[in-house]
Amino acid sequence: MEGVSYQRFPKIKIREVKDDYAKFELRETDASMANALRRVMIAEVPTVAIDLVEIEVNSSVLNDEFIAHRLGLIPLTSERAMSMRFSRDCDACDGDGQCEFCSVEFHLRAKCMTDETLDVTSKDLISSDHTVVPVDFSDSSGYDSADKKGIIIVKLRRGQELRLRAIARKGIGKDHAKWSPAATVTFMYEPEIHINEDLMESLTLEEKTSWVESSPTKVFDIDASSQQVCFYFPQLLLHFFAPSFWAIMIAQESRSYGEAGLVEIYAKEDSFIFTVESTGAIKASQLVLNAIDVLKQKLDAVRLSEDTVEADDQFGELGAHMRGG
Amino acid sequence: MNAPDRYERFVVPEGTKKVSYERDTKIINAASFTVEREDHTIGNILRMQLHRDENVLFADVRTSQELIFGAVEILSRANGAIHTTSQSSPMQAYNQAINDLDKELDYLKNAFEKIQQLLSGYRILLELSSCSVGPALGLLSNGHQFEAPQGHWRFTRSLTSRSRGISRDASSLDCRTQLYFLLKPSS
Repeated sequence: MEGVSYQRFPKIKIREVKDDYAKFELRETDASMANALRRVMIAEVPTVAIDLVEIEVNSSVLNDEFIAHRLGLIPLTSERAMSMRFSRDCDACDGDGQCEFCSVEFHLRAKCMTDETLDVTSKDLISSDHTVVPVDFSDSSGYDSADKKGIIIVKLRRGQELRLRAIARKGIGKDHAKWSPAATVTFMYEPEIHINEDLMESLTLEEKTSWVESSPTKVFDIDASSQQVCFYFPQLLLHFFAPSFWAIMIAQESRSYGEAGLVEIYAKEDSFIFTVESTGAIKASQLVLNAIDVLKQKLDAVRLSEDTVEADDQFGELGAHMRGG
Repeated sequence: MNAPDRYERFVVPEGTKKVSYERDTKIINAASFTVEREDHTIGNILRMQLHRDENVLFADVRTSQELIFGAVEILSRANGAIHTTSQSSPMQAYNQAINDLDKELDYLKNAFEKIQQLLSGYRILLELSSCSVGPALGLLSNGHQFEAPQGHWRFTRSLTSRSRGISRDASSLDCRTQLYFLLKPSS
């Protein structure tokens, strides 16, 4: 048996992390790993969403299935999701998938009594488990003075009523998009910029200055002491520009000076900048960790079982024996 | 009426094996395997890892999809072929690849968790309004002295900041630009 390992050792550097947004750099790994993480974050990290709706009374303007569809799309805080069971796998309940281990019950009662339109929002959904509730989108900084009332489900007029009971279950994005915890997950290659020093030398200081000034957002700067073109806050730049934008902009500028190739931009093949935005069901950083766990589970499921390994060895030995080895 | 359950896209039904493996009769040290209900997510990652193995001469993973029951349900299946040198066997290469990927993910998870702990321990959020950064760093409200290590500045633009420009002079900042610092308490 061999002891050689072909493992990679990826490095992570976090650039920015908020509750629902994370930006980090992933280095020294392959594009297939980055893409696998992205795909898993979108489609295979489990969350909890409303899956079954029993409507008692609905006299609103929207029909039953319309309201049920909207309820399903409401994001629910899903920290519990990784430890919950899928209801199809649950053996505690009597088959209807509604026991306390694999589901969360919600109910909603709204009736409009006044002449004003009543907005039935996600805040009116009352949960049986306080850890699984509709995500609260109200901004803590409160820069927008309007009240954050939650997602509007339906609007009711005087006399209209809505009464229903909903069951939320665990699921994954592959099944239905309501279970996807990610708003957007993107990654881009990290750009590597080369200034062609020899060509740069051939320009006069005025040409250099005007070349540096010509970019709409400040990319380069002239170092006062050595009068060389250098980067302006290199870390700042990588925050805001996509490499393609750079390449176009800089190539154009270079061409206007008759010196194409003054600056070249390459994509580093094993360095990725991830941007993860979550719907609020799971925190962005937790989403990445869950994605790694789910990917590990999938790999474990794909291992060859013990008896297939044995059968192969037997055949191998037999074959070797028959070949006269 | 005859539509299959949605979860059949990724749940292997009773009686079907998740992974099946077949030796190639015509070429020695070659085999093909089939993984049910998986797609490019696993397929590509396995393929690239197999390519890193020196003893693997050829490794390919194809994802195929098929209709079932004449409905619009699409099942995906990952088929692969591995051919190795006589130093190793396809099965060994396959298992080795999975183990290496497992270890890589463990390493990644540890790295991420460590960084998270570091950030939550030391991250301090300051909101500055048109004042210079230098003196503000010197003293925090509880009177402790902190110093910002060189090269750990992170500029972020919060959604609240109205103005779009960042001035050339780094020591003065716009209203409501938020700064995240990684600070180390000075001993």
